[in-house]
Amino acid sequence: MMLKAAELKRFVQEAARLIAKDETIGEFEIYCSSGEHRIARLNFTSDIPCRGLEEFKSLEADGFQIRIAMTRDAHEVGSTSEAGEFTLNAIRTSLERAKRATVIDPHFSGFATEPKKLKAAVREKSDLARLSDAAIANAAWNVVRGATEALGKFGAPTAGHAGLVIGGDLSVIRDRVAITTSHFDDIRVDEGAHFSSSVTALIESRDAKGTASALGSSAAHMRSAAMSLGREAVQRALKLGHGVRPSSGPYRVVLGPQPVAEIINYMVMGSLTTGAFHAASSAYQGRFGDDVMHASLSLFDDPNHKAGAVRRSITCEGLAARRADLIRDGKLIGLLSTIYDSHRLETDEERAEKLGAKAGDKVKFPPFNGYRLGEGGGRRFDAHPASAGSNVVMRTRGGIAENALLGQLGDGIYIGRVWYTYPINGQRAGDFTCTVSGDSYLIRGGKIAEPVAPNSLRVNANIAEVFAKPLAVGARSIAAIVWGSPEGYYVPPIALGSINLSAVGANP
Amino acid sequence: MRSSGDLFEAIEYLKREGPTLLSRFVKAHRDAEYADLRFEVVMNRSASATNGEPRDANESSMAAYCITVHARASSEVSGHGQTGAEVGALAGTPAKLVAALKRGLDQAYQRARFSAREKAAMMKAAGRGLESLALRAALPGAPVHDEIAAEYKHDPRALDTDQLKRLALEGSRAVSGLGKDIAFNVAAAMTELRHELLVSSIGSVISQATAFSQGDCYVVAQNADGHQESYDTIGQQRGFESIAEGWRGELMPNADLVTFCKELASEAQQLAAASLLKPPEGEVVVVTDPHFNALVAHEIVGHPSEADRALKMEAGYAGRSWFLKSLAENQLGHRVGSELLSACSDPTLDGYGHYRYDHEGTPGRRVMHFDRGIFSGFLNSRDTAAALGAEPNGHARASEGWHVPLIRMSNTFFLPGETPPEKIIGEVDRGFYVCAHQIPSIAESRENFRISARRVYEIENGRIGRLFRSGSVIADSRSFFMNVDAVGDDLRLVAIPNCGKGQPMQVKRMSNGGPTLRSRARLGGG
Repeated sequence: MMLKAAELKRFVQEAARLIAKDETIGEFEIYCSSGEHRIARLNFTSDIPCRGLEEFKSLEADGFQIRIAMTRDAHEVGSTSEAGEFTLNAIRTSLERAKRATVIDPHFSGFATEPKKLKAAVREKSDLARLSDAAIANAAWNVVRGATEALGKFGAPTAGHAGLVIGGDLSVIRDRVAITTSHFDDIRVDEGAHFSSSVTALIESRDAKGTASALGSSAAHMRSAAMSLGREAVQRALKLGHGVRPSSGPYRVVLGPQPVAEIINYMVMGSLTTGAFHAASSAYQGRFGDDVMHASLSLFDDPNHKAGAVRRSITCEGLAARRADLIRDGKLIGLLSTIYDSHRLETDEERAEKLGAKAGDKVKFPPFNGYRLGEGGGRRFDAHPASAGSNVVMRTRGGIAENALLGQLGDGIYIGRVWYTYPINGQRAGDFTCTVSGDSYLIRGGKIAEPVAPNSLRVNANIAEVFAKPLAVGARSIAAIVWGSPEGYYVPPIALGSINLSAVGANP
Repeated sequence: MRSSGDLFEAIEYLKREGPTLLSRFVKAHRDAEYADLRFEVVMNRSASATNGEPRDANESSMAAYCITVHARASSEVSGHGQTGAEVGALAGTPAKLVAALKRGLDQAYQRARFSAREKAAMMKAAGRGLESLALRAALPGAPVHDEIAAEYKHDPRALDTDQLKRLALEGSRAVSGLGKDIAFNVAAAMTELRHELLVSSIGSVISQATAFSQGDCYVVAQNADGHQESYDTIGQQRGFESIAEGWRGELMPNADLVTFCKELASEAQQLAAASLLKPPEGEVVVVTDPHFNALVAHEIVGHPSEADRALKMEAGYAGRSWFLKSLAENQLGHRVGSELLSACSDPTLDGYGHYRYDHEGTPGRRVMHFDRGIFSGFLNSRDTAAALGAEPNGHARASEGWHVPLIRMSNTFFLPGETPPEKIIGEVDRGFYVCAHQIPSIAESRENFRISARRVYEIENGRIGRLFRSGSVIADSRSFFMNVDAVGDDLRLVAIPNCGKGQPMQVKRMSNGGPTLRSRARLGGG
């Protein structure tokens, strides 16, 4: 049972009053969260005994974190967190623990100070907050039902040895937070709820794989998605059966929204933080202000994005959550940041070298992205603020429709899904590798031709090959989910003139 | 004032009261078949330093539970539901803890019923074709009682956090002191006591306590020639002494944290100055060292040997297994590697993946994956063992108290041969010596991989030559294993601190390793 926003607010108020009386503490921050992640994992296998719905579960965590800076030395800082108990006694105990854990960090610059009072955000509450377990179970089974019915309807038997596999999940993530610092005149609260569903359909008798996903912030959207996702994934898989296995070599390709989102998530976002530049580990090291992508591409993070599922009105450091423009018309103009990391980079003795000549002395990095996130992407009381996105949007200039994109390509491969994308030589090098895992086709004469067998190709490339010289870019930004990522992605397909693909041997 | 020790007292309370709580619940609900409760208390201390300056310290205690309830909708159809929650300090008050657990039991039970009813309705409507949904839980037969104590010299609960602060700072300073080409570094030290309790409605009470201590180092070196990001971990199921003084265990020794950090950073300096590997065309002879083979054992043997993957339960996330196309067509009993190659998972050995019982209460035991090249077994849970017609072997493990158990590796490694590594290298006319794993990328069923190494050396006429950075090994898995023609006598395990699996992601500690191996593969470069 999640705690109400008013309960969190009241606790933060009491804690602030108590800590303010302690003269040994010069500065403090109290952060409190209540979160719930309900998950229904899908596991239907037509030829293997299964449960259909596996791990129908919830994870709940409520607690608070105190961060302090001591009066005797403004750089002597400590923190501690406590789960489950919201009492004055728990605050006192935590305070003692935080004092034991202090270190003198010469780069600590203080907790959030401005503005003293935040204008209350008007936020439409999601009805996902009231969704029952029965409704989630029903929606999850509707995905399985839709998938099995689609297989029968399209001429493939569910019985016998179709090898139908339905995997994925339907998840509802909710969180509430309250925060204040010794500099604020108010207690700031925020709450959010969104669902995500990712469905994979395999028809192993045809070596076919199709996927479908949805991301949203209302119960109605979740229910309608559940009615269609299983069917869509199976339909896609049926179209992709008995695919070809292309040989190794350079290819012209169109990367669909999921591969673009995956490459941005694993290869680009980590490099677009003040922390990465300070640590000399950004793929764009020394290139702030430079053209790092093609002029047709812009990238921003927006916690208030109207179409975005991950909506936030304050950061987990108590500041108003705002859009952060990262790349505009190909030029690197902004970074995700926390209060600590902004200060650390802005005061870094090697700042000029780390950012590059075009950054200048005056560029600032507003800390609009300090979030404390847990495993499922919800906010957690025991996490420390780190740079993270919310709704990551790639916009294009001069983008064209997907059909036209295929037309520009002529002959090549449409890559609809990739898997296990990693910075194979470290983040700074920008080299990545991944495998083409489904939803992919040959393109011949600008038209979709034969399907490509899932897991038959490995991509070996660098991010510059993807984003610096695209052949053409799609006009529409489409929602895409990246497994394990707290962000929602809204990205276009991108056509590339040449990328190296190596053949993967068939399963023994 | 409440001490962190109070939370550990909740374990003692639940040893006494837990089985009755669960058995009463099951008896009171006609369609409930079985319930279990995992309860876990962790006391953790950590510290980190960056670029030779203190950065952070923390001491925290955590208590969490995960409840599973199985319920019937009919004689053929059942469902299960789960609830996990972090209860923290609330666990220090028995009445509050019991109230929370009762709420959790109700919630898990209702989920089990919703799921079972929806399933029954769907099966009825479909008539035929959905018989596979009738998987019944393989529930434990007889209760188990056991008590396992943690091993340590320094109790993590009693350690002064200042000792961790000093150690991390010393490690980071040692790295910073190596020169201007160290652009950035972090050294971190952690020690914790983790006490897990499993109680069930049939009366099992299994109490396992484990001490973990871990040191981590991340370093970025750069110079006019290039840059290198390196990171690595040392870890033991022991107290602070194992990272402060080093550990001399036979299978998984480690240096003290300061020495470890310095060595990693010195290597990064050398690599930043080394040339990028320009890979040759086609396959070459590769000799891979134990640290590199730890990741091969992890990704290409261990993960695809997890029965949940093999049975397609992870198809939407971490993928399937190249060892099992279907129940009828799979690699069990078939050759998947050279006859020199054997591999196993063994939770009974000392290592970062050691335990006595898994989180379903099954004793952990050695599972042979490759027996002289023949694929011979999967890691399993009770349910997957039933689906495969095998005995449970004790590999269902959750990463935290609030998570559900998934099938996980324990200590998973290639077994040693009899050849000294020097001889394996000495026999190579032209090839490459690939050392220390870095980053993996794996095909969906793990049938193909590209794994990068920290260091790649030329081998010419049996001698190790030039050092390269940004090299990786690319191969189809079966082909790589079939081509193994030498296995070293130098088995080593490596602590793996961050194996991710599940939805939401569970990050688990384990060990992987092997001896030096020689095979053929393509190389990737930078």
